[in-house]
Amino acid sequence: MKRILTYLLFAVIGIGIGGYSALSMAGLLPDNQRMGGSVEVDGWFGNLDTGSEDASPYFRARLARTGLLALANSEAIYFSRVMDDSGQPFTENCTYRISGGPMPAGWWSVTLYNADNFLPDNTDGALSFDATKAGDGPWQAVIARQMPADDANWISSKASGNFDLTFRLYVPDEGVVDKPAKYITAPSVERLNCTGETP
Amino acid sequence: MKKWLGPIALCSVLAVITHAAIVYYAPSFIMARAMTMLEKRDTPLHGFSRVPRMTPQTQSVVRASPDLTYAACRFDLAQAPNGIRVTMAAYDSYSSLSFFDARTNNFLTVRGDGEQRQVTLLPPHASGAGAIVAPSDTGIILIRRLAPTDDAYAKVVELAANDSCEAL
Repeated sequence: MKRILTYLLFAVIGIGIGGYSALSMAGLLPDNQRMGGSVEVDGWFGNLDTGSEDASPYFRARLARTGLLALANSEAIYFSRVMDDSGQPFTENCTYRISGGPMPAGWWSVTLYNADNFLPDNTDGALSFDATKAGDGPWQAVIARQMPADDANWISSKASGNFDLTFRLYVPDEGVVDKPAKYITAPSVERLNCTGETP
Repeated sequence: MKKWLGPIALCSVLAVITHAAIVYYAPSFIMARAMTMLEKRDTPLHGFSRVPRMTPQTQSVVRASPDLTYAACRFDLAQAPNGIRVTMAAYDSYSSLSFFDARTNNFLTVRGDGEQRQVTLLPPHASGAGAIVAPSDTGIILIRRLAPTDDAYAKVVELAANDSCEAL
């Protein structure tokens, strides 16, 4: 009887170790739901195997949780970041300036998501900034809880907590998928000020 | 020491099997849940359901873009042995028709480029000239259209009446 219980105990431990390690490595644990990726461009992280059969099992599992129904890289590529240019995590308690220029794609956008990978629960109607608003030259927008007084371009971080940003490039130009760092100058995100208080 | 070898071996084997099984089956499991969720939200089998303009209040999948409109069709080729025909109406801005299998792979995307697009999807192992053979019986078809303004969204609502996803 003791022998059977020993085997049973080790079986449970084995299943536990295997299950936890799989959930952890695939980013499926509740506290690890960021999109991420192994390709870095100017502080943004992506994985160009998104939506592809070439994706590793771990990335495929992570993406199923954090970016289900994402398009393959011939149609769109996705990057995300959780920190500003100084390496501090994004928080709705701070105001940021995001800026950039023309992007090598048919259309692009930057969208703000909360830690659960959803649009934050506010009614500001300002959760992204995209190519249709940016024009053909340099552009910038403010990321803040409240609309800027000077009527500048705005991405609302209201009710987002520790948010992240997703940078989409649809219909990427030729060569971008193979050498993203060469062709993409990704937006910079500068922290301007913080209130230091939790709303 | 020898008496622990058996339990340790069992522990190791089960750890590896459990690890591999979870990583392998997670996408299928999550996709199946997504299809169930779409069904509960009245997305028909072999029919498009246009998602309301994407807002924090209407979002139903992770990381949806508020600048795009989405229309979704669930497919189950076990219930459509002759395949399905999918039509995306013409739109003068960005649009695409994308197909996802039961393991979340985006196995086909057709860009609109201002034209109407039509695709015939056949069950796995079937064949047909000009048709696409699906890697799995079940999956999701998604139409994306760029519509970052209320006016653009209203235009999509009008033309999306001509989208179709039908069993043959």
